[in-house]
Amino acid sequence: MKTVPPPCPEPETGVRYWRGLDDLAGTPEFRSQLEREFPEGASELSDPSTRRSFMKLMGASVALAGVGLTGCRRPEEKIYPFGKQPEGYTHGVPQYFATAMPTRSGAVPLVAKQHDGRPVKVEGNDRHPDSNGGTDAYVQASILDLYDPDRSRRFLKGGNDVTRVAAIDALTQLAQQSAAKQGAGLAFLTTQGRSPSFDRLVAAARTKLPQAKWFQYESVDFDIHRRGASAATGKNVDPCYRVENAQVILSLDCDLFGREEESARYNRGFAKGRRPQSEHDAMNRLYVAEALLSVTGAAADHRLRLPAGQVFALAAAIAAELLPSGPARDACGAVPKPAGVDAKWIQECAADLAANKGKALVVAGYSQPLAVHVLAHALNAALEATGRTVEYRESSVATTASLPELAAALNGGQVETLVILGGNPVYDAPADLNWSETQRKAKTVIRLGYHEDETTGRSDWHFPAAHYLESWGDARTADGTLVPVQPLIEPLFGGLTALELLARLAGESVVKPYDIVRATFVALGKGTEDDWERFLHDGFREKSAAAAVAAPVDARAVAQAVTSAPKIPVASKDSLEVIFHRDSKIDDGRYANNAWLQELPDPITKMVWDNAVWVSRKTASELGLVNTEIVTLEVGGRQVKAPIWITPGLADHTLALALGYGRRQPGRVACFEDKPVGFNAGAVRAAATPWIAPGARVTGSKVVWKFATTQSHWAMSGRPIVREANLSQYQANTKFAQNFDLESHSEHIAKGPDGNPLPLYKTAYEERPATQQSAINQWGMAIDLSACTGCGACVIACQSENNIPVVGKDQVIRGREMQWMRIDRYFTGYKEGQRNKLISDEDQWKETWIDEPQVVTQPMMCQHCEKAPCESVCPVNATVHDEEGLNIMAYNRCVGTRYCSNNCAWKVRRFNFFDYNKRPNNYGDISQGNLGKLYEGPLAKRGAAELELVKMAKNPEVTVRMRGVMEKCTFCTQRIEATKIARKVKAGASGDVQVTDADGLRTACQQACPAEAIVFGNQLETGSRVNQWKKNARNYTVLGFLDTRPRVTYLAKIRNPNPKMPDFHEVPLSIEEYKQMYHGDPFAAHGAAHGEGHGAAAEAGHATPAKGGAH
Amino acid sequence: MSDIFPRWTNKLPAQIITGALLTGTAVGAAVWYYFTPQYTRVGYQPVQPVAFSHAIHVDQVGMDCRYCHNGVEKSWYSNVPSASTCMNCHNAVLATDPRLELVRESYTTGNPIPWVQVHKTPDYVYFNHAVHVNRGVSCVHCHGQINKMDEVQHAKPLSMSFCLECHRNPAEFIRDPKLVYNLDWQPDDPKAHKDAMLQAVHDWKINSSQNCSACHR
Repeated sequence: MKTVPPPCPEPETGVRYWRGLDDLAGTPEFRSQLEREFPEGASELSDPSTRRSFMKLMGASVALAGVGLTGCRRPEEKIYPFGKQPEGYTHGVPQYFATAMPTRSGAVPLVAKQHDGRPVKVEGNDRHPDSNGGTDAYVQASILDLYDPDRSRRFLKGGNDVTRVAAIDALTQLAQQSAAKQGAGLAFLTTQGRSPSFDRLVAAARTKLPQAKWFQYESVDFDIHRRGASAATGKNVDPCYRVENAQVILSLDCDLFGREEESARYNRGFAKGRRPQSEHDAMNRLYVAEALLSVTGAAADHRLRLPAGQVFALAAAIAAELLPSGPARDACGAVPKPAGVDAKWIQECAADLAANKGKALVVAGYSQPLAVHVLAHALNAALEATGRTVEYRESSVATTASLPELAAALNGGQVETLVILGGNPVYDAPADLNWSETQRKAKTVIRLGYHEDETTGRSDWHFPAAHYLESWGDARTADGTLVPVQPLIEPLFGGLTALELLARLAGESVVKPYDIVRATFVALGKGTEDDWERFLHDGFREKSAAAAVAAPVDARAVAQAVTSAPKIPVASKDSLEVIFHRDSKIDDGRYANNAWLQELPDPITKMVWDNAVWVSRKTASELGLVNTEIVTLEVGGRQVKAPIWITPGLADHTLALALGYGRRQPGRVACFEDKPVGFNAGAVRAAATPWIAPGARVTGSKVVWKFATTQSHWAMSGRPIVREANLSQYQANTKFAQNFDLESHSEHIAKGPDGNPLPLYKTAYEERPATQQSAINQWGMAIDLSACTGCGACVIACQSENNIPVVGKDQVIRGREMQWMRIDRYFTGYKEGQRNKLISDEDQWKETWIDEPQVVTQPMMCQHCEKAPCESVCPVNATVHDEEGLNIMAYNRCVGTRYCSNNCAWKVRRFNFFDYNKRPNNYGDISQGNLGKLYEGPLAKRGAAELELVKMAKNPEVTVRMRGVMEKCTFCTQRIEATKIARKVKAGASGDVQVTDADGLRTACQQACPAEAIVFGNQLETGSRVNQWKKNARNYTVLGFLDTRPRVTYLAKIRNPNPKMPDFHEVPLSIEEYKQMYHGDPFAAHGAAHGEGHGAAAEAGHATPAKGGAH
Repeated sequence: MSDIFPRWTNKLPAQIITGALLTGTAVGAAVWYYFTPQYTRVGYQPVQPVAFSHAIHVDQVGMDCRYCHNGVEKSWYSNVPSASTCMNCHNAVLATDPRLELVRESYTTGNPIPWVQVHKTPDYVYFNHAVHVNRGVSCVHCHGQINKMDEVQHAKPLSMSFCLECHRNPAEFIRDPKLVYNLDWQPDDPKAHKDAMLQAVHDWKINSSQNCSACHR
């Protein structure tokens, strides 16, 4: 039966296309032709007797088509220009908008880049008075959340779709009912934030609905900083730490550079005091007392490995030395000394702090109890830090009732309607509140959420939330400066902001977020139209920072806090201490569906796509556990099954659990086919002990788990990959970094007139300098290892800028991660008798030296060797050198032999084993029983809607690579080209085309780095920063003995330990290792200390690095 | 013994091989040619939804390229003008002409006119208009004499070898940036012009890269 298709309906909007003049005129012949579906003769197809004639017809037309080869023409593409040209818009030129990413305790000022209407990259706003343009990994990855295919895109009532209009009508109705009852039975559960507009609306709602109750919950509560400062001073104040002004810093379990919010600011401040340019420069000094080795502990000059429960005792012991006599000091003196801590550590640390009055800073971490925070403020006051290294500002935040109170109200039947504005309490509420059931005790639960997640299923109404890049809003940064949250795109799925939802519920007449923010702006100052435009343009309101207030510490309050501090028993083998922490990648689970962050290696363990029960070597051996064994952890009567991971530097008898994993919803990244990534540590977390839970037990199962880590080998084994020195050695011999490896032997090597070793063979680059070498630009990079803390912001920035795909856990296990840039982390520890002993990856966790390691981090990417080993082995010239010193990849030429990767000594090349972008990525892993869709090849297709979103996140200036090609760092060639072109456009008919630092060319990693550890530029510009850095005596080349002349060089790390401390090491432990393995002392004048060991062992040692590569 | 095969068959294998080789080469060459942009692109002249004539607007009326293609000096992309640009003149000139119906409709409704793309580089080529026109490469080199065309036709192959031709020898192709949009311009004294441009390549530091990274990222 032939069905007559209906005529194609013309779209109501859009152009009316006509297939010819007949169509335009609407002639009857054309209409009949439409209805016939096929031209004359073709419909005889249904009749078997005429099939022959059909074949004849078709054969003839195929032949005709073939002769004309019309199929070789490209498919016709259309250009759709605007009907009316928008003002100030040029197609192809990216636009930048100032905005901000709201955080729990402030906001990160940003400049977001938009390509033809879609945001593709965020950078810090360096015009903001308290920002240098650096950001952290969370911020860099936030752009992917915007294009998350699992984003909530529906309005739901009881799990069923409703229209947006119906949902908003329901809100209006609820608002009317609530207003009639003055808000009785209504409860709001909000998250933390610093939005003046939100605060204003809450205040208005409180007046309109006086009976309504307000609660606030954050799984990771950064408000403790405010509560600590307020308790110490008796005023409601926010502390703002000025790390840049500090000479000596003591961190009491405070992961300043990693897990604390504002870590980018702290990284920037710290790095300022860490980059000596000459022997006369001073450095700051960092003491850290912590249980879990963090990036802050890794950067520390002195790290005290201490169970988290003992940090209070340590703080009290230091306070007893430093506080002025009075009730506070007496109370501290009464606190028992921390178990197992060398008294000299406490004395000398206190003495160093005291010697730096006005330049010292003590900070307490979010996971420490209030008393530790109060003590930190008391110490700061005693050290005259107030106004210098710590500022207090009047806070706009009031202490709000929390989740346990809400649970009590719900259980008491006092809540009829519960409004959850953001957050995901069903997942992250303390386990003892049984929140999933408790929440249902409200008659109606209305919920605004970014995903259809655990809480959605337990709510009556679900409203999709807008991303911050889709919302109007405002916020205050840590210094109190007002910043706008400006949308770059209309909500992709019609999401609402918390502002709008609250305004509607409160029955406000103004409900448009833009109008709300605008009204707040006017209310906060006179705010003319010009001011408003300036505010949006600059991304902050000038001079809106709150003035610092005097907030003297109340000694009696301190004493009271100390005496009422919770007594945490000392952990032992039989009673272990569980510590929870904000995950350094997916936060409290809010970024669990962000594949970039899931695949970002943890800065210390380098673990991806998992969390683990982290334990120390000693604890594991005492309990008879092997690494990666799955254990049952029991604490407070609750159990969880999880694998362990032996972590260097972790306090003994401590179990460290990262929050945010083990989520069952949403589906594609955080959980696949009901197999969540990691385990939910929240299952054993109680409201009373959210951070430190004593009395835990673990039982082994003899079953092991497969983890994915990106760096399986922990030690440098004496190889001088990262070179470091203590400040005193650096001062004595600034050029020490050149005295390692073969460089230290270079006097024996034949050299050319330029002072470089004579090469074995000449490269094209050297043979034809005139044609191969541009005289205008030569690109180079330098990385200051002294400033780098290994936070990982650069890795995500690179991923975002360069369209780098995510591969999933299984592929990472196979070593196929795609990130162009990695941060190598080495644990260094020296032990007598370890000489020339190379430990296998499987056995390294048994080594005793990992208990107290020193840590070095090193960003590693393509080194852009002038004589690149990869180029000479490429059979198809797919990787070649350009005349500006870039080692480039021509993807179209690459046939995927992977010879280049084999021949790269730094192991920085990445191969596309699959079409990661086109396949529905299965981020699970084989150990969980699924092989993954990747292996199905073209048979597995990513859904069209998902693919569209994936495409939107891509940077249009960079090719999206397909399966079978090699890729690697390009030095952000797209940025280089854009800068060169901008320069040439400006130059026109003149020769002023050299790119200089003034052109603002920065690579993505450089721009994201808050510590300014990376500098990139033109080596032919005499005064360029990269040239200055490369002239620094600390400058050295990794694997320099290969003489490939990398364009990336490193500045050696300098530590600044205190010689009086009991854990002082004369030389950094990596140098001790090096001396043992190589018999060379880089700090001695060459020759003198080198004679001793030129035996066979030393020769073998020299051969090691070449074989081992960078791993 | 008589011959089974006549004598002339001795040459047959050689003839067959030669013939096959010749035919093969000819077929190969033909296919090769047909697959090059020289054949596939040059001469491409789709019918556009609006019968816009560059010849009338540029040659007769004397409009500058940049009146409509105003992004060419700033962007990698030379924009097709919006309907509002057309209507700047056509709300007075030919204001009711039926040929301009689509333009007026686009202007009032905001719906775009579906122009058919003529010139296109592959997705893996990052060609930038701004840098070429600002540094003295005229439109005419890549687009031909657009100012004489009633319906736009693909005049040059725009293949990689076409790009390299100029990148290898820029002096032959550049001119004073002021003359870039004058598509009819010819040097009065070709010899002097060539010398001047050789000097310009030096003075303007024109470094037309022939490396992959110039166009591919």
